[in-house]
Amino acid sequence: MSLAIAGMGWVTPLGSGVDSVWERLLQGHEASATTISEPFSEQAYSAFRVPESAMAGFSYPRLRRASVISRFAAAAGLEALRAAGVELNSQNAERTALIFAISNGGVIYTRRFYRDIVDAGAQSASPLLFPETVFNAPASHLAAILGITGATYTLVGDGAVGLAAIKMAEDLMANEALEHCLVVGTEEVDWLLCDAYRRWRLLRRAPPIEPFSKQPRGMILSEGAGAILLGQDGPFTIESAHPGGCFTKRAEAEKILERTLRDLAETEIDFVVSSANGTFVDQAECRALKVVIPNAIVYTAKPALGESVGAAGLWQIMLAAQALRSRELPPVLHVRSTGSLQLPRARMSIPRARRAIVLSCGLNQQAAGLRLASD
Amino acid sequence: MAQSDSSNRKNTRARVAVVAAGVVSPLGFGLNETLDSLRNSRNCISPVTRFSVGQCRCKTAGQVSDDRLLATQAEAPRSRRLHRASHMMIQALTELVAQEPHFEPELTVIGTTSGGMSYGEHYYRSLRQAGDLRRAPTWIANYPAQKPVIDAQVAFGISAPCQVIANACASGTNAIGHAFECVRSGRYQRVLAGGYDALSELVFTGFDSLQASTPEKCRPFDRHRTGMVLGEGAALLALENLDSAQRRGAPVLAEIIGYGISTDNFHITQPDPSGIGPRQAMERAVQSAHVAENEIDYINAHGTATLFNDAAEGKAINRFFNGVPVSSTKSMMGHSLGAAGAIEAVVCLLALQHQFLPPNMRTNRGRLFCAQSFRILLASVEQMLRFSCAGLKHESCNRRHGVGDSPGKRR
Repeated sequence: MSLAIAGMGWVTPLGSGVDSVWERLLQGHEASATTISEPFSEQAYSAFRVPESAMAGFSYPRLRRASVISRFAAAAGLEALRAAGVELNSQNAERTALIFAISNGGVIYTRRFYRDIVDAGAQSASPLLFPETVFNAPASHLAAILGITGATYTLVGDGAVGLAAIKMAEDLMANEALEHCLVVGTEEVDWLLCDAYRRWRLLRRAPPIEPFSKQPRGMILSEGAGAILLGQDGPFTIESAHPGGCFTKRAEAEKILERTLRDLAETEIDFVVSSANGTFVDQAECRALKVVIPNAIVYTAKPALGESVGAAGLWQIMLAAQALRSRELPPVLHVRSTGSLQLPRARMSIPRARRAIVLSCGLNQQAAGLRLASD
Repeated sequence: MAQSDSSNRKNTRARVAVVAAGVVSPLGFGLNETLDSLRNSRNCISPVTRFSVGQCRCKTAGQVSDDRLLATQAEAPRSRRLHRASHMMIQALTELVAQEPHFEPELTVIGTTSGGMSYGEHYYRSLRQAGDLRRAPTWIANYPAQKPVIDAQVAFGISAPCQVIANACASGTNAIGHAFECVRSGRYQRVLAGGYDALSELVFTGFDSLQASTPEKCRPFDRHRTGMVLGEGAALLALENLDSAQRRGAPVLAEIIGYGISTDNFHITQPDPSGIGPRQAMERAVQSAHVAENEIDYINAHGTATLFNDAAEGKAINRFFNGVPVSSTKSMMGHSLGAAGAIEAVVCLLALQHQFLPPNMRTNRGRLFCAQSFRILLASVEQMLRFSCAGLKHESCNRRHGVGDSPGKRR
């Protein structure tokens, strides 16, 4: 079945607001890296964080004690509803489902909560922090703000979880009682996450992210949220949400991506929004693309925005939608070698573009894709 | 891998069969041990041994034996590196696959709350206390919530896409419910569904800090109840389009006929005292099943034994159902969070198959917290059961029933 994108919302290290972030990407801007350190460690890391200005004036009593991940999600979700002109009330809130895509969740409060236990014992554990450590805390907050009383789901996964959430939305919308489904991907960055990804040899200590390099040099983590309101009407249609699959070894990722691309590329495709982030993902996607759509124009925003994991899939869909809307692609930054891929090195006009594929390959064994079309 | 069939969408209403199941919990390894524990009202709560609970109020939990868990999978490759949660999932899937070796899911939907949390704890504690970090890459690789699901799939050559639902206590029920909707809509023929969670220090201490867990015994629905006891485990159900299952001669253990979900926005850790959350979920489940509430024979309640949950849930059951037998099997095995709904679905499956009502331990009838119409089961009862409780219908009966739970709450 096809779903329409009725509205979108965006909170990123390049600021908030769909049009504003998109304009900055078109101009070739990239987020500023912040150094994150920890008193007990000599290791410091670079990350792309959401600037305070992006959340200025955003305030809800319910979010007073909430972690930033919940605040990002709420801001993006509310923007998507505003953009669609949808105002939830007691009638239509019941006919609106909420799906969250998350990878690491509220890691800042989780670390603080557990730090107190490690340092001072269980008696020092904070009952205020604990509820914010659960994966579905951001979804609970946004559901409460919006008054949603029907289906609310939090999906957990890797960078492909955003597309899995869209697939779930497609399945939920098969229920005729639903009018809308708000899908939100969100993530916050923390020193602990950076350290974990570094030990896993996936993180680079400082920017840039160099996409599609022959030698993967690693990614830079980022944070923020993306929200997409799905319904029956809207300027963009998700023609096919492909569930992809799970790979056990990195080498197997390419096969799943290839199969996903083959299914999605049954019709003419104008460009592909890739999840290339400076890790093994890049070569897996590159090889799959070369086999299935060798002439594709390929775009990735991760050098500009960083790897936001749980939010990344939603961001990719929004990038594809904005490119279809404006008939332009932003430049792919920090490209050292392209292989045989067509990467826009400067702002590129795509005047007749009507269809795009979004490809997400996660770092933890999941991959998925979807095809988006403009009216 | 089959893509979902986009031509079959709204208004398609396939019937959904349960063709196989697997479970591991404090009640036992597998369906037979679980049945035996239920019939014998076995207390499977014991002092916590996995981590120090010296500073916690609560010192007990329902625990799965590591000796048995690891002994059964010692031959598996890389077995030692896997998290306990992966071992539990593999154990449950082993039992399921033994019943249905040819079950190839198009989708896997699993509930959890914590993933490989204890590995995250090891990693952070080692960092913080300048400990040995040589195993850090293993801890990190096995921490993500989807890892135990993928590990279990890999053990049996399954590569279905996974949806891992983290809706706190409702995760397992929501996973089965969503899987049920996927098959019922006609978009999928076969979906693997269930839930898992393994005890962890962070979560145990969290509930202790909220004073949601009890230093005493777990007494669901008792006026003098003092809180929950945590548990752990994994349970899986193989769901299949009934026609497809019957065509290939698969055994039909039960049928899922309805599902309801609601979101209670009262407070992040407390349910609305009116019971509107569970009531809406139950109403929607019964509506979804197209049955009347008086056709329900048994309710396996969430029944955590916290002050707030049982009051709200009891009120909802009382208002919606009239005298339907109720029990909380958490009194025997503890609250296994993301696995709870899945394990309790298996409990219902066993109740339907073997025609008995599982008991609610330690609750004194004279101390029931609410009206006399609340029919709590204080012992295992042999009874004609047409169909159940947390969502299943016995295959031999032409009756239906619903499943309901409310997401978003941990207490």
